[in-house]
Amino acid sequence: MVVNDIEIMFGGQAGDGSLTTGDLIAGVFKRMGLEVYTYKDFPSRIRGGHTNYVIRASEHPNWGMADFVDCLVAFDLEAVEAHLDELRPGGFIIFDNSSEPIPDGVRRSDVTWYEVPLAKIAKSDLGLELVRNTISLGVLSALIGMDRSIVRELVSNAYKRKSEKVLDQNLRAIEAGEQYVERHFAEWPSGYALRAGADGDRLIMMGNDAIGYGALVAGCRFMAGYPITPATDVLEWMAKHVPRFGGIAVQAEDELSAINMVLGAAFTGVRAMTATSGPGQALMTEAIGLAGVLEIPVVVIECARTGPSTGMPTKTEQSNLNHLIFSGHGEIPRVVLAPGTVEDSFYLTVDAFNLAEKYQCPVFVLSEQALCQSKATLPSLDLSRTSVERGKLQTEPVVFGEYKRFAFTADGVSPRVIPGVEGGMHLAAGSEHNDAGVITESALNRRRMMDKRMGKMESMRDDLPKPIIHGDPQAEIAIFGYGSNRGPIGEALERLWQAGIAARFFEFRTLWPFPEAEVRAFVEGAVHVFVVENNYTGQLERLIRYVVGPLEHMHLVNKYDGRPFRPIEIIDPIEKYALLRVPMEVRR
Amino acid sequence: MAAVLTPKDFATATPSWWCPGCGDYGVLSALKAALADLGMQPKDVAFISGIGCSGKISGYLHSYAFHGVHGRALPVATAVKLANRDLTVIAAGGDGDGYAIGAGHFLHAVRRNPNITYIVMDNQTYGLTKGQSSPTSQTGYVTGTSPQGNPDAPINGLAVALAAGASFLARGFSAHPKQVVELTKAAIKHEGFSIVEVMSPCVTYNKINTYAWFKENIYYVNEAPDYDPGDRSHAFDVLSREGKIPLGIIYQDSRATLESLSHLGTTPLAQLDIVSRSPAYAAMQEAYR
Ligand SMILES: Cc1ncc(C[n+]2csc(CCOP(=O)(O)OP(=O)(O)O)c2C)c(N)n1
Ligand code: SF4
Ligand SMILES: [Mg+2]
Repeated sequence: MVVNDIEIMFGGQAGDGSLTTGDLIAGVFKRMGLEVYTYKDFPSRIRGGHTNYVIRASEHPNWGMADFVDCLVAFDLEAVEAHLDELRPGGFIIFDNSSEPIPDGVRRSDVTWYEVPLAKIAKSDLGLELVRNTISLGVLSALIGMDRSIVRELVSNAYKRKSEKVLDQNLRAIEAGEQYVERHFAEWPSGYALRAGADGDRLIMMGNDAIGYGALVAGCRFMAGYPITPATDVLEWMAKHVPRFGGIAVQAEDELSAINMVLGAAFTGVRAMTATSGPGQALMTEAIGLAGVLEIPVVVIECARTGPSTGMPTKTEQSNLNHLIFSGHGEIPRVVLAPGTVEDSFYLTVDAFNLAEKYQCPVFVLSEQALCQSKATLPSLDLSRTSVERGKLQTEPVVFGEYKRFAFTADGVSPRVIPGVEGGMHLAAGSEHNDAGVITESALNRRRMMDKRMGKMESMRDDLPKPIIHGDPQAEIAIFGYGSNRGPIGEALERLWQAGIAARFFEFRTLWPFPEAEVRAFVEGAVHVFVVENNYTGQLERLIRYVVGPLEHMHLVNKYDGRPFRPIEIIDPIEKYALLRVPMEVRR
Repeated sequence: MAAVLTPKDFATATPSWWCPGCGDYGVLSALKAALADLGMQPKDVAFISGIGCSGKISGYLHSYAFHGVHGRALPVATAVKLANRDLTVIAAGGDGDGYAIGAGHFLHAVRRNPNITYIVMDNQTYGLTKGQSSPTSQTGYVTGTSPQGNPDAPINGLAVALAAGASFLARGFSAHPKQVVELTKAAIKHEGFSIVEVMSPCVTYNKINTYAWFKENIYYVNEAPDYDPGDRSHAFDVLSREGKIPLGIIYQDSRATLESLSHLGTTPLAQLDIVSRSPAYAAMQEAYR
């Protein structure tokens, strides 16, 4: 019997309500005291097309998927055929056989099959086919022992907004699912069970919610964006919440406009941001250079997806790192932060605003579909850990002629006036300018201005979010990674340890300015170095190589199929190489 | 009480860069005069320009000036206004800046109707890049990029704006300073998005649409005593008629501004208290329990 450790894949067709049911499952697990991670694998369309929602629950946090799925809830044969091989031996399937039976050739014998005519029951007994999702929740609940009163409470919360009738249908659907199990499968235990613990002082939140919340708490009162998956949630979150705090979220006509609006707003002194994904990021490039040279603080949330071009818009990838670090003509100071968990998405977003304002430059928060659209449980967010540091914002009158907007200073940061401040009138020009803002092409001034602006990358060093070193810092095996890979790498570390293999893991939180000294210190004494990332060319691996020089045993563990790593995909190559010296097969 | 200012108080020490005789000089002096006449203070003026010869204008107006990238002055200006309604926000740029690379933003600024003023300095060519054809160049205009003559038809920016729902449209001629001052003042006073297109000859590259040419080819709509700028279909008619170019206030109506429809308070956003940790922040976590 497996207790308190399960990964459920809830398969369905896009737009059929499986999203709500997936959220309900996650909510029940959380209320039963378990740690939850969810992953949405959706097609890029509104209705139809196979979707699945993965919900993982365990006693300790796992910020990623397991090696296998324990339970597949399949509403059609397509879902079975697509995911049967992901099922763990000993796992089980809940299959809606209303319209078609399972053909013999498809059936795997090492998993348990619970075939239930979900749609038929929904239609004939409850009068609404849509509630088949909720019936399946009842079936699942009975098979693994969800707390029945919590299930009912959450179902009520989810549907009470609709109508009395819909709520009643859904509550009866739960009942119907549970009864079906009691009547037909009493002799067939699923092999999985749940023991409720205390929920505790915890939240369940999506990465993008945490970013929106972090921005609000950091004092962001202006957002402009253009809808793009998987970043739209941030604009929607801000549009819903920021007006209550006196601010505004604008839907611009395109990303060119969005980023220029952010610059305009930030020019007036309000904390401002945009959120986008690869294609939008590409359009914003020119204006981000402008923010660099105008020394205007802007925060850009990049929720990466699979590129290039339209790519796979609803799938994950870490292929935009080069773009954030190197894009643009000319050179500007910039910061790239990358949270590895939902919780860190909140704290790093707060940091992003403080860094942007203190160093007057663009700051990127880099997330990915597998993190920004995933929900996870987390401890309540600690607001006392947040603060608003406004740097050299100058709101008191200055003396015109004496005041210089781009004054040369030791740390490269100049006092920043905003429109309305007496005496501070100046030109903020994308053309090279002198300390007073006057456009000039003087060679000497150009050198000094470049030194000033780029020098901020050094003056900010101590302020940048630090990496987290996990595992055994003396181990011969060293792993680098960031973002959504924090979960699977962390889990791999744990399991390698259990298998008697020690490893250390460097979780980047600041990717730029590149934490050179920390990276060098970390690889000290390592024999095998692995870089885990979701892209073809090994963008992070190349950065590391560039900094620490050629390491004989440096390897790329990469994946570029649009799906996040499962721990075994990290453990396998490391184990094979480090123990057996099986050469790594890396493609790029 | 702040002192009453003169146009000179809106001048910067930066020597201007335009060719002698460039129409842009007239636009700048009219703008300085308009701001002085209206009793504005430089600290309360945000002046955002695009890229081009015309875009250089922001360097010459004593104000909070912003010289951004090519074609994007309007999104910047719109956001400045949303963020701080106390500012008088003016955007300026060329025909290429506004009607080519920035055409998308132009339409959306019109339809949003923020209370800002947009001055299009139309020389019917790309001055800064040395005289290529622009969206307002005449068909047949011969340039380095159109040696056989520009094959494209010119765009009628004001007619396009009217179709998109513009609430204030005016056109001036930079050699008629008094009129441009009056049009600029009316535009700044207008509650909503006001466009002043100023015919601003490029003496260096445009040898067709010269001062002399304009003098032959313009007329003021209010030469007709019964001209009613509130009559939209008549304005359309005037704008789309073949022949001489209409100048003056061509159309004006009153429509709710972007700021008033945005559910925003009147406090400039930069003045909101963001440093205190609001108790409302913690309460928001309850939705995620
Ligand atoms: C993105 C981008 N593309 C091209 C240019 C080059 N460029 C500078 S000004 C200009 C055209 C300016 O024409 P207009 O807006 O009519 O201004 P004018 O110089 O005529 O006043 C161009 C194409 C640029 N600066 N940026
Ligand atoms: S090139 Fe034309 S537009 Fe540019 S400054 Fe000279 S006259 Fe004016
Ligand atoms: Mg021009």
